[in-house]
Amino acid sequence: MKKHFSLLLICFLSVSIFLMGCATVNVNNQENTSNNNQTNDQGNVESEEQVELVMYSWRAEDREAYEVFIEKFESIHPNIRVKFEPFQSTEYNTILNNALVSGTGPDIVQLRPYQGAASVADSDYLVPLEGVPGLDEINEDFLDAAKGSDGKVYGVPLALNAGVIFFNKDIFEEHHLEVPETWGEFLEVSDKLNAAGVVPIAQSGRAAYVLSLVHGVIAPPAYNGNEFVEEILAGSADLKDARFVESVNRMKQLEQYFPKDFIALDDQDAQRMFYSEQAAMYINGSYRLETFESNIPDMNLGVIPSLAEEKGGNAPVTTWVDGSYGVVKNTKHQEEALLFMEFLASQEFGQLFADELNRLGAINGVNPSHPIVNEIAAAVEKESTPYLLLVHFGDGSPTTKTVFEDHLQGMYLGELSPQEVIEEAQKNADRASE
Amino acid sequence: MQQTEKGLEQVSVTQKKSRNMKKYLIHLFILPSLLLYSMFQVYPIISALMNSFYSFQGFARDTFIGLDNFKMLFTQSPFKETFYNALHHNWIYFVVTFFSKIVVSFLLALLIHSKIKGKEFFKTVFFLPRMLSIIVVGYLFSLILNPTSGALNSFLDLVGLGSLAQPWLGSTTTALYTIILVDSWNSIGFSMLIFLAALQGVDKEIYEAAKIDGAKIVTQILKITIPMVMPAIMIVTILTFISSFETFELIYALQGSTGGPFYSTDVLGTYFYRLIFGSIEGGQSIGLGSAVVVVLFLIIASVSALSLILFRKKDFER
Repeated sequence: MKKHFSLLLICFLSVSIFLMGCATVNVNNQENTSNNNQTNDQGNVESEEQVELVMYSWRAEDREAYEVFIEKFESIHPNIRVKFEPFQSTEYNTILNNALVSGTGPDIVQLRPYQGAASVADSDYLVPLEGVPGLDEINEDFLDAAKGSDGKVYGVPLALNAGVIFFNKDIFEEHHLEVPETWGEFLEVSDKLNAAGVVPIAQSGRAAYVLSLVHGVIAPPAYNGNEFVEEILAGSADLKDARFVESVNRMKQLEQYFPKDFIALDDQDAQRMFYSEQAAMYINGSYRLETFESNIPDMNLGVIPSLAEEKGGNAPVTTWVDGSYGVVKNTKHQEEALLFMEFLASQEFGQLFADELNRLGAINGVNPSHPIVNEIAAAVEKESTPYLLLVHFGDGSPTTKTVFEDHLQGMYLGELSPQEVIEEAQKNADRASE
Repeated sequence: MQQTEKGLEQVSVTQKKSRNMKKYLIHLFILPSLLLYSMFQVYPIISALMNSFYSFQGFARDTFIGLDNFKMLFTQSPFKETFYNALHHNWIYFVVTFFSKIVVSFLLALLIHSKIKGKEFFKTVFFLPRMLSIIVVGYLFSLILNPTSGALNSFLDLVGLGSLAQPWLGSTTTALYTIILVDSWNSIGFSMLIFLAALQGVDKEIYEAAKIDGAKIVTQILKITIPMVMPAIMIVTILTFISSFETFELIYALQGSTGGPFYSTDVLGTYFYRLIFGSIEGGQSIGLGSAVVVVLFLIIASVSALSLILFRKKDFER
């Protein structure tokens, strides 16, 4: 009897759950129908319906500035709401890949520059942006950072980064040091700082990418800037070229000016050394200016945008596009997302971006208000050179840039010579081009 | 009389039917967990196996290339060097953790099992690290092992052993062993509890008989304790093997996915992660990464299967 009762109970529960499910579906359907009717009855109300765009980014630290940008956009398009969802930079690729593959992703995504954008675009996850007003006003070199292999533009480039040397003006004054203009002067200043017991360069090496970034900043005068880049692109020179070898030798030379055990330090340790005035200089992207402004507003900060080989010689600033924003192909709100792209490509946004974030924007005709940003912008306008490894050696798996920086780490650990670093990087570049 | 027999037969048929129904109904109850298991365990394995036979264009499957990904992984530079380097580190991981998780934790279990004071306190102290999330452990130790501001080097300086201070995670010679030690600190309590449970199951009369025969402590451990807790030792060995080959989280938390410095902490888990997700700039290779997963799965599955066979054989012999 008990068994029969249990069976009956299970059957009853199952039927109840099934009926409840059906009822819920019916209610939802009814709700949807009534909503649709309402929209249809009211005609133009459909266009007034609130649309929410979800936007993925790796710039969690820029949340406040993005709130300002979004507020501005929403004031122009009151029927669109933009939800800014930033993730930690190191986790971003994984999160984005998973979201895109599972099809549950956002409407707008921040794209890594160059190969990073190309791989997402080539996987057919993005909407080509041809025809978006304002896009044709952006420098073609910047647009290259957001193109797929088919040559179409899939993202609006946002920021232009410059690799620079930040320095503490007070430490320089205290030790009567002139701001170096050439590689030779830079070494002299570093020697004097070493002798005075000050760490010349706050450098980390635990994350290998910072090593190739430093190379990107100090290498152009060694390999003669754009002339060598053009030869590389034409195929008449490769990484084994004596000029490039010299650039890696210079990296080795810098070791004596880095903190002890710097390979075990991460970038935040290096920044802390710079904040606490244990170190006089810090080499990184111009985007760090905003970090310094928030953390050490009182520091008497100076910037060396680039070094020349000889006094009065060319001093090209290393630049690259930081990232761009694209529209996900399977978004339900493509039209609205494209309106946001139009906003990102506008001069109004460019000015807002430069003012709020103290960074160089990719939009032409913008005047940055921060004096250091202005100084960098002026130097970039004079002469710039691409961040060679990032812009032109991002192919392959692993990328040649990754191989180069990992092997630079090996060089600092005494496992490899500069020549071996270059040989491995060139081998990978050959393999990637096959 | 015949009617009574028929009636009894009918009753037994009904009972049988009801029993069968119950049996089938019981099977229904495993459906939810079977569904979850299939979704989160079986499907990823099959999916990785399928992916390993394809080339990829970004994240999208491209063409079927058979075993080419495996061939590339085992024979082509730089993949083979990175693969064998990572595999070698997995073996080192296993050998060192075998010592810490089996030998050290067995000794700790013996100590706690003996008549020392504060047994419960020591049990809790040794097991406590296991309660922490591995990411928290990673963060804590990244602070402790920092070469400039870390507690370990500062402590060594304080006690006059400054010459022993090292960039623990920044040297190719110390980084992997440092991570293994942190892992051991975190998980030693778990193996210790398994050994403790096994030790408590050994009949005390055997020891008493051995004492009467004049067996000393070491002889008792070697001839009685170890053979009696051998099943527990086997289980912990297999668990240690699996965790050594699956290791990823702690290395990722301390060194990132690059297995740095200069691939000195790279294991199959981090290599797979890099291949699947690439670096910040891109460079992912999902087909190759899936091949690494398949190889990893085969290693772990074959060792687990072998150990199961061994266990059964032992049981049979008993």
